[in-house]
Amino acid sequence: MRRFLFNIGYFLKESGRIIRLNLLSNIFTVIGTGLILFLLGLVITGADIGNRLVVMLNDEAEVNGYFSQEVTSEEMDVIAVKIGNMDGVRSTRIVDEDEAKSRMEEILGEEAKILELFSDNPFEAFIEIRINVDAMDAVINNVKNTDGIEYVRDNKEVLEKIQDITYALRILGYLMIFAVGITTLIILSHMIRQGIYNNKDQINTLKLLGSPGAFIGFPYVLTGVILTLLGGMIAAFFMVWLINSAYDSIGGTILFLPLPPRKELTDIMMLWLPGISLVLGFFGSLFGLSSIRERS
Amino acid sequence: MIVFNEVSLVYPDKTQALFDVSVDIKQGELVYITGPSGSGKTSLLKLIMGIEVPTTGTLNVFDSPVKNSSLGSIRKIRRKIGPVFQEFKLIEGRTSLENVITGMRFLNITPKQMKIQAHEALEKVGLGHKKLSKVENLSWGESQRVAIARAVARKPSLILADEPTGNLDYDNAINILELLKSFRDMNTTVIITTHATHLIKDEEDATFLRVNNGRITVERRCL
Repeated sequence: MRRFLFNIGYFLKESGRIIRLNLLSNIFTVIGTGLILFLLGLVITGADIGNRLVVMLNDEAEVNGYFSQEVTSEEMDVIAVKIGNMDGVRSTRIVDEDEAKSRMEEILGEEAKILELFSDNPFEAFIEIRINVDAMDAVINNVKNTDGIEYVRDNKEVLEKIQDITYALRILGYLMIFAVGITTLIILSHMIRQGIYNNKDQINTLKLLGSPGAFIGFPYVLTGVILTLLGGMIAAFFMVWLINSAYDSIGGTILFLPLPPRKELTDIMMLWLPGISLVLGFFGSLFGLSSIRERS
Repeated sequence: MIVFNEVSLVYPDKTQALFDVSVDIKQGELVYITGPSGSGKTSLLKLIMGIEVPTTGTLNVFDSPVKNSSLGSIRKIRRKIGPVFQEFKLIEGRTSLENVITGMRFLNITPKQMKIQAHEALEKVGLGHKKLSKVENLSWGESQRVAIARAVARKPSLILADEPTGNLDYDNAINILELLKSFRDMNTTVIITTHATHLIKDEEDATFLRVNNGRITVERRCL
């Protein structure tokens, strides 16, 4: 470790030399890595907004349970508490006949006059049950089997669509992250192999002098990390610029689209993109370095 | 220190480079390996450095077996050796001083000591004034001296010089040989390969390994 610290300056100089030796190629590596990480930034932003949308839609997921005729208002309260304690149920609320009618009036608007044709309120009290989409089937089944509940009205098709969208967004995000990771690793390891090839005489001399593999390899790892970090910083800069421009032009919010706070998003970009680039740079370089393994 | 015991070396293309070599080289000895080109001189050095391993027989360097050794053990052996390669193997784009220091960076010495030893070695080979010159700007003879400085600055137990007199005129060749021999003062073993036997024929305190078609004969001369 002490020897390693003694040589930090040497390693940095070596990295600079390796970069300068193939400057144009390395500039393209930085630009390429930056563009790939920029794409990753877009995916992360999209996934974040998508997740918020899914959470919002999840929050809206509900089924309605209708009481049997003989159930009294006291019993309704007991049933509501019982259902509220079920797994997968987030909250329950009893909607009485009057509220049910006024809701329908709101929905019908001017056509609500039709309700005046009824001498009595035609609506029944029901229980509004907010649920976790993941536990939808089990909750509907349990509510149906609850004493005092005559039938359950669900929006199963809509809820299933929400589930599918959530799943698709997650898979897409993972696929993009995987693709970006592999692409960066391949670009970097190729670049490191190229650097090793360009310096093969020097590497061979160091081997003959008894240099440990780590001493030979570290400048290449450092080079890979520096190049990807530069790419990560470029990507972060453009993502922050893009986010700021987008928020300025849309005034911070789009109806029905729950945007994350601007600062939260820019902070994620400034932290995650350089962070991911560091990790990818390290592993990409190690992968490339495997080509200088000496036969024992 | 270096013990060859019935060592044979066959290259992958089936060329037999050495046959049943047995010799014991002791600490502080001066050894000349002579013989015509292609006789197996460089193969002997490659074996000592662990670049090649014996096909049959055993070879111990600094009491460590070369055959079936781990890469780490081979590297340890190499760190005790100061090699002077025939083609020098200096790192271009660096100064003489940087080249000498690069050969020491991974040894167990402090940066200060490293610089002192590098300066001393360059002074000793007469290149103190060229320590900041890029090696590609040096003459053949100067480059060779930098290679020697790199080898000796490491304060090795063994100096291996492969054809150090090749391409040199008589006076320069003698100077290089005298320089290499001078490192025996530090009880360093010096092994020199050369086909220029006329330069060493009068040597009185040395061991001669004469290689011919992969077989060697040993002659020891003592004062």
